Amino acid sequence: MSKTIELNPVTRIEGHLAIKVEVEAGKVVNAFVSGEMFRGFEKILRGRDPLDAQHITQRICGVCPVEHGMASVLAQEMAYHLTPPLNGILARNLIQAANFMMSHITHFYLLSGPDFVDVAMIANYQGSDPALLALQNWVKAQLSSRTIVPGGPFLPRYAAQYLQDAGTNFTVLRHYLEALEMRALAHRMGAVFAGKLPHAATLVPGGITEKVTALKISEYRSALDILRRFIDQAYLPDVAAVAQAFPEYFMVGKGCGNFMAYGAFPLAGGSETKLIPSGVLMDGKLQPVNVEAITEDVGNSLYSSTSGRRPYEGETIADPDKAGAYSWLKAPRYNGKVMEVGPLARVLVSYQGGQNATLKSAVDALLLNLGRQPGDLNSVLGRHAARALECKLIADQCAQWLDQLTPDDPAFTDFSPPESGRGHGLTEAARGALGHWMEIGDSKIRNYQCVVPTTWNCSPRDDRGVPGPVEQALIGLPVADPENPIEAARVVRSFDPCLACAVH
Amino acid sequence: MNSLSRRSFLELSTKLCAVMGLSASAIPRLAAAAEELASGQASVLWLQGQSCSGCSISLLDAEAISPVQLLTRYISLTFHQTLSATTGHQAVDTVNKTIAAGGYILVVEGSVPAGMPKACMFGNEPFGTQLIRAAKAAKAVLAVGACATFGGVPGAENNPTGAVSAAQYLKDHGVGTPTILIPGCPCHPDWLLGTLTHVLKLGIPPLDALGRPKAFFSRLMHDQCARFADYEREKFAKTFGEEGCLFKLGCLGPITHTDCALRNWNSGVNSCIRAGAPCIGCGGEQFAAKADMPFITKRRAAAKPA
Repeated sequence: MSKTIELNPVTRIEGHLAIKVEVEAGKVVNAFVSGEMFRGFEKILRGRDPLDAQHITQRICGVCPVEHGMASVLAQEMAYHLTPPLNGILARNLIQAANFMMSHITHFYLLSGPDFVDVAMIANYQGSDPALLALQNWVKAQLSSRTIVPGGPFLPRYAAQYLQDAGTNFTVLRHYLEALEMRALAHRMGAVFAGKLPHAATLVPGGITEKVTALKISEYRSALDILRRFIDQAYLPDVAAVAQAFPEYFMVGKGCGNFMAYGAFPLAGGSETKLIPSGVLMDGKLQPVNVEAITEDVGNSLYSSTSGRRPYEGETIADPDKAGAYSWLKAPRYNGKVMEVGPLARVLVSYQGGQNATLKSAVDALLLNLGRQPGDLNSVLGRHAARALECKLIADQCAQWLDQLTPDDPAFTDFSPPESGRGHGLTEAARGALGHWMEIGDSKIRNYQCVVPTTWNCSPRDDRGVPGPVEQALIGLPVADPENPIEAARVVRSFDPCLACAVH
Repeated sequence: MNSLSRRSFLELSTKLCAVMGLSASAIPRLAAAAEELASGQASVLWLQGQSCSGCSISLLDAEAISPVQLLTRYISLTFHQTLSATTGHQAVDTVNKTIAAGGYILVVEGSVPAGMPKACMFGNEPFGTQLIRAAKAAKAVLAVGACATFGGVPGAENNPTGAVSAAQYLKDHGVGTPTILIPGCPCHPDWLLGTLTHVLKLGIPPLDALGRPKAFFSRLMHDQCARFADYEREKFAKTFGEEGCLFKLGCLGPITHTDCALRNWNSGVNSCIRAGAPCIGCGGEQFAAKADMPFITKRRAAAKPA
């Protein structure tokens, strides 16, 4: 006899996500992942000026606006046959990198942290850290008050086993408080070249509107120094500490096993080399990404559009009452196969390709430190570890990009928008491979399609009934207490879902 | 009770007055507000409709009141979809418990799919229904960001969900709870924090005809712009990266009522126009509304040297 458990809504992700799992004899035997919100950006974009696209698409998501802006300007640059100057390319890297750091730090501490850290343990804190003592006082006052939700937003929570070791728990909790400042600092740093964040102002086809000056380079660098220290001294050790405290999470949350990265962060030198390389890992074999292999099924999605189309020909026709459909997400497939995207996919693609010696040795060191094999990375903890390693890789690279900028050289190449054309922009958002496809006619957007990281990861079943990556990661998961299904929450959050992105 | 001293309340309040542009005479009252809040009396419920969470992210970037200060000294945040530890049915219970208690401040981010209720659901309930329940029991509603105030991108022309702003939706359904509109895409953290704290102690701040706090939205961006002198001298940027007023690139500063040009973003580090990007009017009531109103006026590039 199976029991159905709903996690509806799943909080501490971006947006509106609902999970339904069927549990039998303490294990998940079936899982359904539903996107619960739709706005219709692709339809809203039609008929607009193509240069609106980087502003409109950034509003798809307040967590990854920069990456949508980037995908949009890359699509336009393909359509306009346009290449930004080196300053423009590097400054955009620095903006995108800042947003990655903001997102990764936010994800581990603010979004996933409360699944592992025991906030209630603060009542027993005996130390002298002023921030933790203030938190202790606040929690005590809250719990004895008549406020509606005492301890909100940190309580209530699932009854579960959190970090047991007081030292580790208080360290991570202290870093949670610091992470709030660090993620804001990362945004402040990005805004030096972005104008403001979230929703960057300066991204345009051809580069950025902001100037590159010696002062701006220094402003970015001083913030970066502080962030790098936090990543090295707090983020990476905390991920390792959580991994040591919850080793069983190396064994659960195994995804579909196929991974894809579009790559991002072009390196100076005019080559196609990127800090994060592109590639598809299919059945353990690395192959180049073939854009033509990407299609979107809608058989189980709330659309009446034609199923299985490539993005350039894609449609988005809402059908909220469609029988049998259970999600506002489409189901993207690569050669018909389910693919996982995100930091784990990027790290595995890069690791297998071997282009980046720094990353490869960082992964090997981590595995050695935790006594794990590369195969263990396909798990809840593998995703957290990959995210942290990548955060360091990107932060360290920023210092070199700053050195490569030339103050007062142009950061923008002028262009004349053509009346017609088409292009696609492929990049990476913090949570995975992001692509925009754009068709221009009569100087207007004729068609626009976004295939977004969480669309891949949280996709519903495709037309053949094959479940998406998160659905697959949930099936087989042991759930001890159906009233407090924290195991499922931990699996879902390890993917860092972003639903506003996924549905758009 | 909280260990905070009277002195630290006064310090916080002084900071706050600076954010809100209030006179020093308001400091003692605000200090009292902060003390009262620390005892857990000011509950805030935060709901998200058709939103991108950008206004939540922007609030986390606040400097005037840091997020830790906000959560532990100023408000009792009963629920926030991105921050709350609670999840699943427990989250639904937490929201409903707040609504049953009433008397809180409701912050709402995002629009409502008035023409397609299933396009935004929370725990199997259409967001519009939840919003009405939550707003009726609230002391005041703060509609935050472009989508909640004027519809934003989800409510733009050709949108398939019949999206309207949260504020408009409440009006259309006869909900009479005082509602303040704090636009922007995203909303600037100072605008939200300044308004929230004003509401908590001093009541509803002076509003303009559209329901926006006058303290932040009464003056034209253009009039406060650092490039205004260039405009007067008719020195216009012809393309991106050039010096001069951005008017001929499509800048909407002359019709947008926000104080970005003076306040700046991300702890004052920059702002759109300062960074050479034309204002796209994200704080205005027509933001993104019309398909044939492009953000950027881009002329053909000058012929490239061979």
